[in-house]
Amino acid sequence: MTMQGSKVFAEGSDDAARTIVAFCRYAREQGLAGGVQVTLGGLRAALCLGMANRETLRSGLRAVICSSKDEWELFDQIFETFWDPVESKHSQRVPRRQQRRGVDDSDRNPSTLMSGAVGENQAEGQGSQESAGASELHRLRKADFSTLRQDDLAALETIVLRLLRQMSARLSRRQRMATSRGRLDLRRTIHHSISRGGDPIDLRYHKRKPRPNRLVILLDISGSMSPYSLFLVRFVYVLQKHFKQVNTFLFSTELVEITRLLHARRPPEALRSLSQLATGWSGGTKIGACLSDFNKLHARKLRRADTVFVILSDGWDTGEPEMLAAELAAVKHRVHKLIWLNPLLGLADYQPITRGMSAALPYIDVFAPAHNLESLMALERHL
Amino acid sequence: METSVGSSPSASSQSIDTIISGFEHLGYVTDRSLATAIYLVTQLRKPLLVEGHAGLGKTEVAKVLAAFLAARLIRLQCYEGLDISSAVYEWNYQKQLLAIKIQEPSKQTVEEKEKHIFSREFLLERPLLQSILVEEASPVLLIDEIDRADEAFEAFLLELLSDFQVTIPELGTVHAKHVPYVILTSNRSRELGDALKRRCLYQWIDYPDLEKEMRIVRTRLPGIEQQLAGQVVQFVQFVRKLPLSKPPGIAETLDCAQALIALGKHRLDPEAVEETLSCVSKSVEDSAKIRSAGLERILSLPTGQ
Repeated sequence: MTMQGSKVFAEGSDDAARTIVAFCRYAREQGLAGGVQVTLGGLRAALCLGMANRETLRSGLRAVICSSKDEWELFDQIFETFWDPVESKHSQRVPRRQQRRGVDDSDRNPSTLMSGAVGENQAEGQGSQESAGASELHRLRKADFSTLRQDDLAALETIVLRLLRQMSARLSRRQRMATSRGRLDLRRTIHHSISRGGDPIDLRYHKRKPRPNRLVILLDISGSMSPYSLFLVRFVYVLQKHFKQVNTFLFSTELVEITRLLHARRPPEALRSLSQLATGWSGGTKIGACLSDFNKLHARKLRRADTVFVILSDGWDTGEPEMLAAELAAVKHRVHKLIWLNPLLGLADYQPITRGMSAALPYIDVFAPAHNLESLMALERHL
Repeated sequence: METSVGSSPSASSQSIDTIISGFEHLGYVTDRSLATAIYLVTQLRKPLLVEGHAGLGKTEVAKVLAAFLAARLIRLQCYEGLDISSAVYEWNYQKQLLAIKIQEPSKQTVEEKEKHIFSREFLLERPLLQSILVEEASPVLLIDEIDRADEAFEAFLLELLSDFQVTIPELGTVHAKHVPYVILTSNRSRELGDALKRRCLYQWIDYPDLEKEMRIVRTRLPGIEQQLAGQVVQFVQFVRKLPLSKPPGIAETLDCAQALIALGKHRLDPEAVEETLSCVSKSVEDSAKIRSAGLERILSLPTGQ
């Protein structure tokens, strides 16, 4: 591809080239893909199609510039606005990118829960001397999260990290043993048999590449979960540092993906910006609606064969149980295993008879408690 | 990558019209948007990524394009776990083993024997290699349901689509004599990588509107009665608006119409709907939703055609 900008067009049609370049730049400002390649593609398409027929030009540029359904749907309006700026309502469109940026920039009142998380981080410095003796460690592993003191949290995090290291080591060893002798590698077997007159004496094997499971975590942050959610967020944060493929979502009345935030190097800042993302922080719960959002927006990223789906919630749902059941069934269809961790299951007299929970039970592969460290670490058995 | 850059705009407009009429002649009703994209495929020689719901004729685009260009169609159906040996090439091991046995008494050196059993004669060409080896003219390469293959394969494909060459360690590098026209389809069950999407032209195929769907039914089923066609299309258009887990595509409309013709129906009444419901709905839940959606209203509408 040696064509360069205006050279593509014949002498005298510089204007046309300039218009296309300007349009590509405009489209990029409006949130579509951009770059030299896209612009060159646009120029070549326009050269093939000519500028005279607006409809044809629109179809051509759309095919070149767009690369997803979302962009496809945005394109027509952008095209109209660029070519007929007077007729369409230019000022009403807020560029998508700027909208997104706006969310990140604003820095207003973090919720009480998150300010707890930040304050707790300061305690981390003192708490991480690992002075926890055996009995202390034992106490912390068994302690219900809702009864923990602020400064226990830091100590807990250290323990989690240590346990996770063991846990992931165990995980990988298990995979190797199971697949130590894979399929016969005929190609290499034959290669080696040539010098032995064609008798395949040394068999060669394909070794199966271990592929770690992908983890998807949905964490309930509604009011009823608040004694637990502070610690569970930190647990997920540590988990995400340790496993490569973890997607994390928060939900209450709305679903918010926080995977990228948890990848931030410094958790307190990440957690603070969380409070701005999650509008339903400690409000009511609509599990069904949130799962529906998940199915619509995020489920496409999953592959059935290797995804473990974990919901951390107490099952108090203000939505329709029928919807919850239908959406869970859809999720179940998409994933390898569906795990529901319920902190209330740690209570001696708890029965999963809330409407939401009983609607959900038929679709759950593993129903386990999540009220203390020990119960969380038991997650390993199911991964 | 040579493109016939000299084509004038009016020629392009004519070519696009030719594509529309040519496709229609082959039984595929298309619109200007898709025809323009296909024209650009032939001019810019970029791959075309076609996305859309199931049953809207994505795969058909490649088949009809091949027929239209009188080119060979080579199809690669993707699935999870698709690997190089089933997509690009594989050695014919049984034949190789036999050849080694036959060569045993000969005086050839080990190197000569090796060269012999790793020659083209023993190579099983899979779709992607086939598309590169075609001698006579550019074939149409259909990579169907690319969203089902995994990311690793997608990355490999990206390399192939930029260079159109395959390296076989035992044989060397094979370059394409004629760069294939590439059509990729995706059901969006997984998001594709940015790099692959950027390399392709893009086309989103949506459910057709009433008028276009009527034309499709009449093109594909020329014998259908006007009234029946109108009713079926209106019925399916109505059903698509219901919150179903699998809304019917054009394939389902055609199935339903064909079933009605086979049953000797002349108009669509509740009884006929019940009998052909399995063409339109693919699950018990969807069927229940359709039944309870007040079909009488839609069936009593004048067809207006």
